[in-house]
Amino acid sequence: MPFLELSGITKRFPGVLALDGVSFAIERGTCHALIGENGAGKSTLGKILAGVHCADGGELRMDGRVIAPGTPLEARELGIAMVHQELAFCPNLSVAENLCLGDLPRRAGFVQRKELHARARAMLATIGADLDPAAIIGTLSTGQEQLVQIAAAVGTGAKVIVMDEPSSSLSAAETHELFRLVRELKARGITLIYVSHRLEELFALCDNITVLRDGRHVVTESITRTDPHRVVTQMIGRELLIPTPAHLGRAPGHRRLAVQGLSSGRKFRDINLEVRAGEIVGVAGIIGAGRSEVIEAIFGLDPAATGRVTVNDAPLPLGSIDAALAAGIGLLPEDRKRQGLVLGLNCRENTSLAMLPALSRAGWVQRERERALAQGFVTRLRVKTPSLESLTAGLSGGNQQKIALAKWLARSCDVLLIDEPTRGVDVGAKAEIYQLLDELACEGKALLVVSSELPELIGLCRRILVMRSGRLAGEVARADFSEAALMRLMAGVAAA
Amino acid sequence: MPSPLRTLFRFQESGLLFVILALGILLTAFSGTVRIPLFERDADGNRKRVFTTSAAGERAPAFTVKNKFLNVQNLAQLAKDTSFIAIMAVGMAVVIISGGIDLSVGSVYALASVLGALVLHRFGPEGPGAGTAPWLGVLLGVGACVGTAALCGLATGGLIVALRVHPFIITLGGMAILRGIAFVVTKGQSVGGFPAAFRDIVRSEIGDGLSYVPLLVMLLVLGLGWIFLSRLAAGRRVYAIGGNELAARFSGIRVARVKLGVYLLSGLAAGVAALLSLGYYGAATSGDGQGYELNVIAAAVVGGASLSGGRGSALGVVLGALIIQMISSGIVILGIDQNYSQIIIGSVVIAAVVLDNVNTWLAKRRLTAKAA
Repeated sequence: MPFLELSGITKRFPGVLALDGVSFAIERGTCHALIGENGAGKSTLGKILAGVHCADGGELRMDGRVIAPGTPLEARELGIAMVHQELAFCPNLSVAENLCLGDLPRRAGFVQRKELHARARAMLATIGADLDPAAIIGTLSTGQEQLVQIAAAVGTGAKVIVMDEPSSSLSAAETHELFRLVRELKARGITLIYVSHRLEELFALCDNITVLRDGRHVVTESITRTDPHRVVTQMIGRELLIPTPAHLGRAPGHRRLAVQGLSSGRKFRDINLEVRAGEIVGVAGIIGAGRSEVIEAIFGLDPAATGRVTVNDAPLPLGSIDAALAAGIGLLPEDRKRQGLVLGLNCRENTSLAMLPALSRAGWVQRERERALAQGFVTRLRVKTPSLESLTAGLSGGNQQKIALAKWLARSCDVLLIDEPTRGVDVGAKAEIYQLLDELACEGKALLVVSSELPELIGLCRRILVMRSGRLAGEVARADFSEAALMRLMAGVAAA
Repeated sequence: MPSPLRTLFRFQESGLLFVILALGILLTAFSGTVRIPLFERDADGNRKRVFTTSAAGERAPAFTVKNKFLNVQNLAQLAKDTSFIAIMAVGMAVVIISGGIDLSVGSVYALASVLGALVLHRFGPEGPGAGTAPWLGVLLGVGACVGTAALCGLATGGLIVALRVHPFIITLGGMAILRGIAFVVTKGQSVGGFPAAFRDIVRSEIGDGLSYVPLLVMLLVLGLGWIFLSRLAAGRRVYAIGGNELAARFSGIRVARVKLGVYLLSGLAAGVAALLSLGYYGAATSGDGQGYELNVIAAAVVGGASLSGGRGSALGVVLGALIIQMISSGIVILGIDQNYSQIIIGSVVIAAVVLDNVNTWLAKRRLTAKAA
């Protein structure tokens, strides 16, 4: 009998069906990989196991008994713990206080500091972590904090530990340490559920693998029976194909955007780039290389930026959003929920947000013109929304992204700065967004696209600029595009 | 199916109207009756008591027996009292929709009243400027009152924008500072003795003692607030900033300017209310408007303005003000100890926010169900 059995697990979020009847089983004492694209539902599934989310349908069995952890605490009591990507502790308290937060050793209400530290030290020792119990969590590295989370899980007698993208922000040494620990936990009979999209890790660590796609279960099999290529195909569902964009067939026009010697403190230095009309230029780099910072500076969001920027050969004063807007620059930001959309406003209001002055006469919003404008974009971008008056909060990621883009198209910007165009967007909408960006380039706009997904840049761009530690590390022309070449530039490794 | 009934229920403010109706019915049912003296107007248009002569030939004043809540005088009183709170609540709604809060409204109201009163007193019958044309005196007084309030609002907004301190702190400080100034300026004394023309305008009545001026001004402020919030680009910007300040900034909205404007409007609204009170009561002291911030914020919150910003309407907060005032006057009518009124209003605010949370939760569930 399998240790954990999931049958028909379903979970809905506003606008998305995150999990759609997922069923599979997990064996005791194994390390089980959960893999899928962004939005495939792998983190959601982990969170349901750990009691962070409640399933809307389906059944969860542990040792044959039906369980329904409604809160993380209930999951803990059942022996299921989770190691989170994001901060799971009170950053202002110490390691020991966080470890014992549920049951602080106290006498007459006073915390027994000595016993507290002794207990914490014992918990840390069980996983071989060498950390000071008195250290404040906020001062630890992500890797160290993760160790504390694992210590907390093991210390409370967890039988199942869900790890959500545990290696995503670890250094190489820390990742190595994590792997050692995962193997050790497995040897102790603890069942691990390892959520990740890094294939090489899964193949190094896990026994079985489950692939999810668009909230559905694709396959569960032994890792020895599969190979990375096969898993990728299963994740994507088909070979990911971006048809050769039409804009590549045309010669780029005049210079739309030129940046010379753009610098800003420690964020980035001496950036030079040029984007012509009808061009899509990519910016690659690892997280923290300064990609988003550069385009935010061009958009006037960085008061400390220095250098020369011209739009259509007219100089652009830096540090002023007003000037950037007047020059015809638009920015589709990285985090659309935080920076791109006002979720409490509807589709119509979000579309017109950046051009209210042009849409109003003597301060009055011209409602008919506004509606016509928004309706035009909803139709053109094929936004799936019940109506123009529906709140953007209820739309799926892809449709939200389209509305965020419509806001800038409405202004008919000449230069579009686009940060992560398809983050958290489902596969179907991705293809539509690629096609849209291609159309925009064909119309003669200049697009500068930042993305962490190399296949996306390779499929879409004429040229790709690579950034490393705040500097331009190089430029790759389309003829030389390959993930390996880009990766080498991103990581600063000389070609073999 | 969009049946008319359904449309009515979808109408944002229908819940508030329902609460008002229910409160009205409750108060009518439980308030009991009151004997009200009868008045009539004589040939010169003066109000005079009506007398009856009994069979025995005794003249006695005539009374009519009416419902304690549902009678013209009480409703007129309710309308007037609501007006003061509602005017300020419209200003507060704009601030709250922008994601801010203004605790200083009561103090702005007091300072504006007091400074306006000092100017009006100068031109009043006992003041040194008694000889001047009354319209000039009234004009200067009105200017002093509303101008003071506008300046207070601008200063509040300016500090919030320039110092980047949470509005709660700035307006909490402002609340104490402004009332302190009002106290120092008047040395704690009441200021009265205004030109008669001024009082006459504000106190003019129609029918059975209905002072319609505060009511009209309130309707005007409601109309302006409604236009501002739902029709003007400036109002849209307020919603955008309250809903997501960062996204608004990324869309090229000048956040600082909008915030400044929002607190200016709140100050102006307090100034208008102060002006009406000067005319209506004919005097001002530095203690005026004490605790108004509770009633005004309560009105805005009960009326559906979300303290996390981005949500609310002018009509909603005016109805909210009516609900708060009905509760306050209901406490008097039902003969409940006055000292309970703060407890009850405080509880109503908390209950309103809880209900709002439940509503948001339900809406979210509806959205989730739709996705399936």
